Amino acid sequence: MKGLRKVLTPFAPDQSGAVSVLYGLGGMTVIIDAGGCTGNICGFDEPRWHDVRSAVFSAGLRDMDAILGRDKLLVSKIAKACEKIDASFVALIGTPVPATIATDYKALKRMIENETSIPVLAIPTDGMQLYDEGEARAYKALFETFSADGGTLEKITLGKTPLTFGDGYEDNTLDDYKNIGENTKITACSASGIEAAKLLGKPYEIFSSAALEFADKIPSGKVLVCHDEVFGKTLRDKGIKCDIATFFTLHDEIREDGDRKITEEDEFTDLAMNGSYDVIVADECLKPLAEGFKGQWIDAPFFALSGRR
Amino acid sequence: MAGKAVRYTVSEIAKLGKDNIPPELLSGHGLVYSSPATLAYNSPGAEGFGVKRAGLAVPESVMLIVSPGCCGRNTSIVSSMPQYKDRFFYLMMDETDLVTGRHLKRIPEAVCEVVSFLDGQKGRKPKVVMICITCVDALLGTDMERVCMACENALGDGTRVRPCYMYALTREGRRPPMVHVRQTLYSLLEPLEKDPKSVNIIGNFAPLEDGELQRYLTKAGVKHIRQIATGSTYEEFLRMASANFNIVTNPEARASAHDMSQRLGIPYIELTRIHDVERTSLMYRSLANAVGIEIDTSAEEAEAMAAVNSLKEQFPDLTFNIGECINADPFELALSLSRYGFKVDEIYATLAPEKFKYVAKLSELSPDTKVFCNMDPTMLYYDVSASRAHISLGKDAAYYCPDIPNVAWNSDIQPFGFQGIRDLMNKITKTMKEVR
Repeated sequence: MKGLRKVLTPFAPDQSGAVSVLYGLGGMTVIIDAGGCTGNICGFDEPRWHDVRSAVFSAGLRDMDAILGRDKLLVSKIAKACEKIDASFVALIGTPVPATIATDYKALKRMIENETSIPVLAIPTDGMQLYDEGEARAYKALFETFSADGGTLEKITLGKTPLTFGDGYEDNTLDDYKNIGENTKITACSASGIEAAKLLGKPYEIFSSAALEFADKIPSGKVLVCHDEVFGKTLRDKGIKCDIATFFTLHDEIREDGDRKITEEDEFTDLAMNGSYDVIVADECLKPLAEGFKGQWIDAPFFALSGRR
Repeated sequence: MAGKAVRYTVSEIAKLGKDNIPPELLSGHGLVYSSPATLAYNSPGAEGFGVKRAGLAVPESVMLIVSPGCCGRNTSIVSSMPQYKDRFFYLMMDETDLVTGRHLKRIPEAVCEVVSFLDGQKGRKPKVVMICITCVDALLGTDMERVCMACENALGDGTRVRPCYMYALTREGRRPPMVHVRQTLYSLLEPLEKDPKSVNIIGNFAPLEDGELQRYLTKAGVKHIRQIATGSTYEEFLRMASANFNIVTNPEARASAHDMSQRLGIPYIELTRIHDVERTSLMYRSLANAVGIEIDTSAEEAEAMAAVNSLKEQFPDLTFNIGECINADPFELALSLSRYGFKVDEIYATLAPEKFKYVAKLSELSPDTKVFCNMDPTMLYYDVSASRAHISLGKDAAYYCPDIPNVAWNSDIQPFGFQGIRDLMNKITKTMKEVR
């Protein structure tokens, strides 16, 4: 049945992706929720939260705030917090609640900027899309707000967040984004990295360092890689002949015959069991979907799927 | 002001009065900091009993979470616990569902598929399916009673289907999620003939530790003491409806007890977990009077007092910092410790008017105790260096005070009464001895 999960837990959502890109940039991130979404992000999807304190707050919405559309109250809460918290920007992260009541993010942004004189990034995620789309939206907001001509940054990696890379993530600084210039070497490390690099309209390379350690472990045979698309492409570039399957974005520039974007549990089961693969490279949380698979399973942890670092 | 955590002394709070508690110390007045305590509440899969775990307290039940993907994300932590394997299922909503509400029509089909999957592949047909819905359906005004009825009709085999509301939006409302989920669980009970020798203890989702309360009741002739977490079958759970009376050990179960008194004719008496030996003794005396039994507390009272005295003798000037991720009311615990002659330097907890009775008394014994609110954004800047505490109590306090010993005291199994006091004091003594 479409949308029914009997084995897997839901994957990292867009709002977690957006926070992941902004974490540690020195801004104040306000998740427009009642508390549960923030709990999921800080308590689960953001491993850095346990090590580094960051100004990630819940808007603390209550039923009447949502029903009556009390935007002014939210603006006032944020303005009060800005008096006490040093923040170089305010980021508004959408959740299902503002999606349900059709919050006007542009208006909120303008109201908060008028009140605080701090730049506001409005990111209309809704908790129903996947993390890579949220990451891409956060990059877009960052570029629109902070990128300027004449930057001299030598190189930058995009899309190397904990959600794809676990502990192998790489942080950028706000200055990095401000200093992207004509000659900056851009590396897209994941699906969101490709989307972000496209927004910049400059040449970029596609490469995932996380995939490299697997290149020597994969025996010959028919191989299925179910991970982020860049993970698969990097293996392919290293000479591993494989099909790529991903629950996340599969860009046309990566897609080859045999590659598939999958959504449902059954699709993965069908692919694993009927695709005549000798080897599957994927997070072992997918294994119960391929009970009876006779080939070799190489475990490639993927935080956005399983929460394993 | 930037760069400093907001705090008030209990003396300042007491002077302001119950009706003028500073907004920084209250829930629902500002942005919310993601402290360990707020996460423990807001991230129910991560720790303790949130709505998701609580909703599965009934034996032989499973849960279908109908929500946007984000709401079920952290459930993988709970799902990895053996007792929750194959008990969580998800029907994920998309934007079209949000606009059209079409997901509601799909729920009966999803419930049937889940039950058939468990019956067929796992050989374990559930007796109850809890349908957990979230903020989205709260705002859409979904009539879950009708949806559940449609599910029961679609199943047609007597399997019960009940709604479970994970509405964080109603946290400060009349029926917050943790109150509501208890009402839902006990609403499954059907009237049974009363058994005068049966008593229920209702309050938490993990059992009260086996201790003096059960012994007192057994001595008074009670044969069956039931708790939601101690039964292993749905039939055992249903026998809770035969109780002569309910003992409520957590105020969040009060509404359920009231429902049961109205619907099933089971009266209830409320007991409070306190850490003052004398008042605990009074509480048991009140219980004895109310239900007409004899309770001799002398042995347990002496044991608890001995543990307090032992700690006091070995560490007479012990100073505490107390958090709220703890099996205790932090304000009550601070008051009891102050009464024993210990010092309490800092409390990390959300204040509420009903806690004011403790704050007012604490202000007489320990006026300089500082209160920080776990929810306030300025806790981002909390700096422990000004604290002179020797030990922290509560899991969240360990986060704020990483360099002093900590007693988390937050197990699922609930300590209670003299035994709880005795064990906490002994644990503190042991922890302090280890670092001496």
